[in-house]
Amino acid sequence: MHPFRLIPKLLLALALLITAAPGAFAQDVEALVNTLPEGSYSDREKVIFDLAATGDDRVASILKVLGEGDLYVREEDGRVVAGKRAGRDYALSDPLTGEALGAAPSSDLDKIRVNNRLRRAIRSAIGQLTLMSPSPSVRLTAARSLLRNADPDALELLDEALAAETDTGVKTVMELARATTILKTDAGLDEKTAAIDTVTARGNREALAVLTASLSTAPSELTPAIERGIAGIERKLAMWDGLQNVWYGLSLGSVLLLAAIGLAITFGVMGVINMAHGEIVMLGAYTTFAVQQVIRISFPGLFDYSLAIALPLAFLVTALVGIAIERGFIRWLYGRPLETLLATWGLSLILQQTVRTIFGPNNREVGNPGWMSGAFDLGGLSITWNRLWIVVFALVVFAILLAVLNRTPLGLQMRAVTQNRRMASSMGIRTPWVDALTFGLGSGIAGIAGVALSQIDNVSPNLGQSYIIDSFMVVVFGGVGNLWGTLVGALTLGVANKFLEPFAGAVLGKIFILVFIILFIQRRPRGLFALKGRAVDA
Amino acid sequence: MNARNDTLLYLDGVSVSFDGFKAIDNLSLVVRHNELQAIIGPNGAGKTTMMDIITGKTRPNEGEVYFDGSVDLTRLDEAAIAELGIGRKFQKPTVFESHTVRDNLELALKKPRGVFSAWFYHADDEDETRLDEILETVRLTHRQHNLAANLSHGQKQWLEIGMLLAQDPKLLLVDEPVAGMTDAETVETAKLLKAISQTRSVMVVEHDMSFIRDLAARVTVLAEGSVLAQGSLDHVSADPRVVESYLGR
Amino acid sequence: MITRTLFRAFDGKANWVVALLAVIAVLVPLSNLALPVGHPLRVPDHFVPLFGKYLTYAMLALALDLVWGYCGILSLGHGAFFALGGYAMGMYLMRQIGDRGVYANPVLPDFMVFLNYDALPWYWHGFDMFWFAAIVAIVAPAVLAFVFGWFAFRSRVTGVYLSIITQAMTYALLLAFFRNDMGFGGNNGLTDFKDILGFPIQASTTRAALFAASAIALALCFIVCSAVVNSKLGKVLVATRDAESRTRFLGYRVDNYKLFAFTASAIMAGIAGALYVPQVGIINPGEFAPANSIEIVIWTAVGGRGTLVGPIIGAILVNAGKSWFTGVFPEFWLFALGGLFVAVTIFLPKGIVGAFTGGWSALKARRISARAEQGSDIAPEPSPAE
Ligand SMILES: Nc1ncnc2c1ncn2[C@@H]1O[C@H](COP(=O)(O)OP(=O)(O)O)[C@@H](O)[C@H]1O
Ligand SMILES: [Mg+2]
Repeated sequence: MHPFRLIPKLLLALALLITAAPGAFAQDVEALVNTLPEGSYSDREKVIFDLAATGDDRVASILKVLGEGDLYVREEDGRVVAGKRAGRDYALSDPLTGEALGAAPSSDLDKIRVNNRLRRAIRSAIGQLTLMSPSPSVRLTAARSLLRNADPDALELLDEALAAETDTGVKTVMELARATTILKTDAGLDEKTAAIDTVTARGNREALAVLTASLSTAPSELTPAIERGIAGIERKLAMWDGLQNVWYGLSLGSVLLLAAIGLAITFGVMGVINMAHGEIVMLGAYTTFAVQQVIRISFPGLFDYSLAIALPLAFLVTALVGIAIERGFIRWLYGRPLETLLATWGLSLILQQTVRTIFGPNNREVGNPGWMSGAFDLGGLSITWNRLWIVVFALVVFAILLAVLNRTPLGLQMRAVTQNRRMASSMGIRTPWVDALTFGLGSGIAGIAGVALSQIDNVSPNLGQSYIIDSFMVVVFGGVGNLWGTLVGALTLGVANKFLEPFAGAVLGKIFILVFIILFIQRRPRGLFALKGRAVDA
Repeated sequence: MNARNDTLLYLDGVSVSFDGFKAIDNLSLVVRHNELQAIIGPNGAGKTTMMDIITGKTRPNEGEVYFDGSVDLTRLDEAAIAELGIGRKFQKPTVFESHTVRDNLELALKKPRGVFSAWFYHADDEDETRLDEILETVRLTHRQHNLAANLSHGQKQWLEIGMLLAQDPKLLLVDEPVAGMTDAETVETAKLLKAISQTRSVMVVEHDMSFIRDLAARVTVLAEGSVLAQGSLDHVSADPRVVESYLGR
Repeated sequence: MITRTLFRAFDGKANWVVALLAVIAVLVPLSNLALPVGHPLRVPDHFVPLFGKYLTYAMLALALDLVWGYCGILSLGHGAFFALGGYAMGMYLMRQIGDRGVYANPVLPDFMVFLNYDALPWYWHGFDMFWFAAIVAIVAPAVLAFVFGWFAFRSRVTGVYLSIITQAMTYALLLAFFRNDMGFGGNNGLTDFKDILGFPIQASTTRAALFAASAIALALCFIVCSAVVNSKLGKVLVATRDAESRTRFLGYRVDNYKLFAFTASAIMAGIAGALYVPQVGIINPGEFAPANSIEIVIWTAVGGRGTLVGPIIGAILVNAGKSWFTGVFPEFWLFALGGLFVAVTIFLPKGIVGAFTGGWSALKARRISARAEQGSDIAPEPSPAE
């Protein structure tokens, strides 16, 4: 039950009451609370006014408890307590401080009773405390609830609040609430037209609901204006929805990019599919977890830097694991890509089970540092910080990788091996060395992908499994031997996924994508950006 | 139309490029019935690529390729072209290594190529005799039950020639057949190819000049993807452009 | 011609395998049913469906071997064909429950009542007849394999690309069968079967019969596979595996050959799935999981791909090991399985059978050369012409 549901009706009553009791003194809240049990219902009503008049922050919550009938007097000491049923007894707490006061059976407690009249008074008092509260966020909530339950009776109070309002954000909502309310009154056409304009200008889903609702009650002269308003808002919303989907798609795409790019490098250079790639991503995520665990225990102040510490560490750990895998296993399977696939699958099982043994099978909590949590609005878009940072991060990683491949000697050698291994080897490039470093690089990137994923997904031993097939799809779709293919592939698949979701649902959307890729690869067996040349089909 | 009427293989204005590099550039060439033709040219001249185009492995960007005067090869795939009667020996000998020598030949033997005809195929006496003959011709009788993987390079070359014979094609494309062979074997190969060309057409790519001389065939010189000169070996060897681009080096 | 091809299926090894399977098909059920409980030679009750399950796995591994071992197509999606066959059989068994379900609906299976279906979906019609389900168990995997293979092989998708898209195929099916609106029982799949062809599914006689059926089906599959690989068709398949484009230049339509092998293999996998479901009593979307399909590959690899006996041995050994491990050290099973993948691919690429026959022929070769040195009947190798 929302505490503010009935506010509008009550606000008017409250306004009247305030004028009827001008001499309310700002008495001590605690003393007032302690007088609640005494006297008749009307005495109690007076105490409620007095409480409201104190303007104290804590009053709203006490009144709420009272309104819900959860305020009691403890018989042994006559203290006013809040009680919540807990099993057979009641768990008691101080209504002002929330401090726990143990438990007591119902026989030891006397309920402070309220009737409907009191309930109304309480709600109006809460409304007054909120709509005029010093805190903008409280006022905003109150204004929103008025918007949802527009009541002509509350108009006057709303006008008053509007006049006093200084915060523009709150003011917009209040104005919208006012316009909504006016559409429900029998105000003149001019005033209503102005109200429709106000609502249309707001242009969001709430406004759309208001206009749609007013369509049936408004005088017929206004119908065209309202319909125009509705159409306008719907267009705008559709656009924002589209953009929001693009954003979700980009965000998913950048996650895919991070997960797939290492795979694409190893596949491109060495022609082997590393089925343990997902598990290496998982290792990166667990490295983040371990770093945060150490920080939580030993250096709590460093928490906001935990990711900065985890990134190089994860890169290092996973790169070493990757090199170990290459030197220890893959090297022996050289030129037998299908066997490599099987052996790395075996390694993935082992890695998974190892992590499960060490960290347990359940999800591990990896926290968002302050700068990664929360969200902000951009026009009609809602953008969470962690997603935004991951998109930025993915692009930065991509750029660095591109630079490494195009500007460094290792990159040159890697490209040479990708294009023609035998030739590269006969020109004196130490292909085994290039292989090991390539594998290390690919794995290291998988590791930092794990750091990023730990910020948006559950960290569990199955983390890798849930991304590996999608990563394959990106690589297969984008083609190997060209990082741009991976970028385009990842972003395309991400956006396509998110665009299909509203029509087909998440699962069916994914199935469509898989079927699409299965068909696509028939058309272009080597992906969007394929390497050409004789070496490829040799 | 008239020009290609009584040719077995007819290439006109064929070009193909890889990433902007023109491997074959406006190549025109004709092979007549029962003709033995030798192709020479420097490395990278496009000889193998030309065979790729004829056998359907590579599609030309432009130009006409006709077999037997009327069949447009650019529209057919490898299997269809092979079934038409064009057999090919690869520059790098490729035989089926996990099959025996005899099985390699049996696979090549001219028979219906469908899945079910293969399933229910049973070599009759005539087939067995034919296989024995071919084995004799390519001197692999004593190794017929060995795995092809265990053959030497030269023997694999012979096996591939044997497979060509078993295919019984109208046109044989033979890419560098004598690499890895002894001098005596080279002479034998030249004899064999000449004998074959009595009843069918053969196109041989080779660098070995004494072998080309033994063939005594019309020689076509390819360079940078097109025909540089054509005629008898003595005629082309005298051509200064040929000397410059190929022989002189 | 056909008889001659079939006749060729019975080479020395095949005779032994088929005879052994025939003996098992008779003896195991007989010992379980005829001997009194407690008799030392009696096959215990729980063993019959368990070993019956292994036999269906062996069929599945054999099917995979036909495409992987002989044709070079590493399918990471064979579990899908198995599961499709299983679902077809499961649908029949579901319809057999009739009004004995929890909701006692004479037509609708329990899960449909639960999900408020008011009529049977169109694709559930006909499954009250065994012959229909049996046909679907064959046709559904065959059609999927044919369509998939037709696209894939025609456009020459090979190697790891092919493996990955077969994996994507089974993954897409996994997601699809998890959906409740697909009408296949969603997450829970199909279970609580009561009887098959009128016989109670839990009865020991029924189980014995299912066991015998599995052994016979495996023997038949073995004969068919043997007939394929011993024919010229088999030689073309191997040629395709080793040098695909060379095979094309000989005039063989490699795509058709692959399509044949892939579809035939899918049919065998479907039959195996149809025999599997009544013996384990459940089929759910988990059978489509990519991990399951990869496990099939390791059975085949352990036994020895490119041999027909290998996959059978591998499937039975690995699954017996799995049963033992998950009973005794459940947490170590994944280590063991993972280790098996690594060890087999690196140290035993030809599998148990391959290593054994390899060792055998090496031994034979040594004996022959020893005899040759003594100047006996074997003519010395003429020196290679080089
Ligand atoms: N598939 C291909 N992709 C790129 N370049 C190719 C391809 N096939 C041939 N070429 C190039 O075409 C040229 C001709 O090669 P080739 O026909 O093999 O020459 P040769 O006359 O020595 O047989 C070479 O430079 C080769 O690198
Ligand atoms: Mg060449």
